[in-house]
Amino acid sequence: MINKTFIIIISICLIQLFSDNSFTVEPEEVLENQKQELRARNISKNIRCMVCQNQSIDESNAPLAKDLRILIRNKIKEGKKDKEIYIFLTDRYGDFILLKPPLKSSTLALWLLPFIFLIIGFFIVFHHNKKSEKI
Amino acid sequence: MKKQLLIAPTILFLFILLTLFYLLLIERNPSEVPSNLLNKKVPKFETESLLKNERFISSQEFGNEIILVNFFATWCKPCRDEHIYIKRFSSEKEIRVIGINYKDNSSNAIDWLKNLGNPYSNVPIDKNGRIAIDWGVYGIPETFLINSKGIIKYRHVGQITKKTYKKINLLIKEIE
Repeated sequence: MINKTFIIIISICLIQLFSDNSFTVEPEEVLENQKQELRARNISKNIRCMVCQNQSIDESNAPLAKDLRILIRNKIKEGKKDKEIYIFLTDRYGDFILLKPPLKSSTLALWLLPFIFLIIGFFIVFHHNKKSEKI
Repeated sequence: MKKQLLIAPTILFLFILLTLFYLLLIERNPSEVPSNLLNKKVPKFETESLLKNERFISSQEFGNEIILVNFFATWCKPCRDEHIYIKRFSSEKEIRVIGINYKDNSSNAIDWLKNLGNPYSNVPIDKNGRIAIDWGVYGIPETFLINSKGIIKYRHVGQITKKTYKKINLLIKEIE
């Protein structure tokens, strides 16, 4: 019984892992140049939908997300580089619009704490094992 | 030694619990994002004006006096609800209010202002939402307080309530 449930859960996880993320890019938004379209999709996946806040604009149905997707495509057509587009967006909406927070002095704790906790964890396990060996 | 080891996680747990409890009790909106435009110059833009037969040129409007900028639309219910406070800003406090009409039908907007009263000294039209993006707007109504040097001093996301009305009034006094 446990095995069956376990297999079902693992299957769902695997399906989730390998399935392509759903996206809401509408046909009229898609650029003819495939290379440019791919760039637009990659940028959109990193940009937070400010309305829903837990989705990227690539997945969001919100009107603002659509506006930003079109804006990114227009900027690409104008010949803007990816970096310039990111700067354009963060100038207006702040770093919060990036789904991945940039490494800055203010976000150092956010990036480093997981590693510090990991090291502390290793240390505790190591210490505990040593104690058990003695017994 | 063992007892001491147990105390540390308990204290840490209690500390986290208290912090979360504190965050729960204080009044805050976790989805509200601080504006990146604070203490920066107002974005430059040019567009049609809803009620005047001339173009709205931002560089000619800002930088002389304190101005409130209110993004609104007729299809937005909270905009209707906050309208009474916008009117009070212009009539009682004699603050100049510019209302940016966001993704709206122009004739609806004209009717709306006729029926509810027009507190705006000028109503630039943001037909496709491009101006709002330059202002970092993500959900209307949004209201910005601009000082006499044309610098954004405060942004409020959402409907203006009695409380925010008082808060903005205090801020106006501060920057005057």
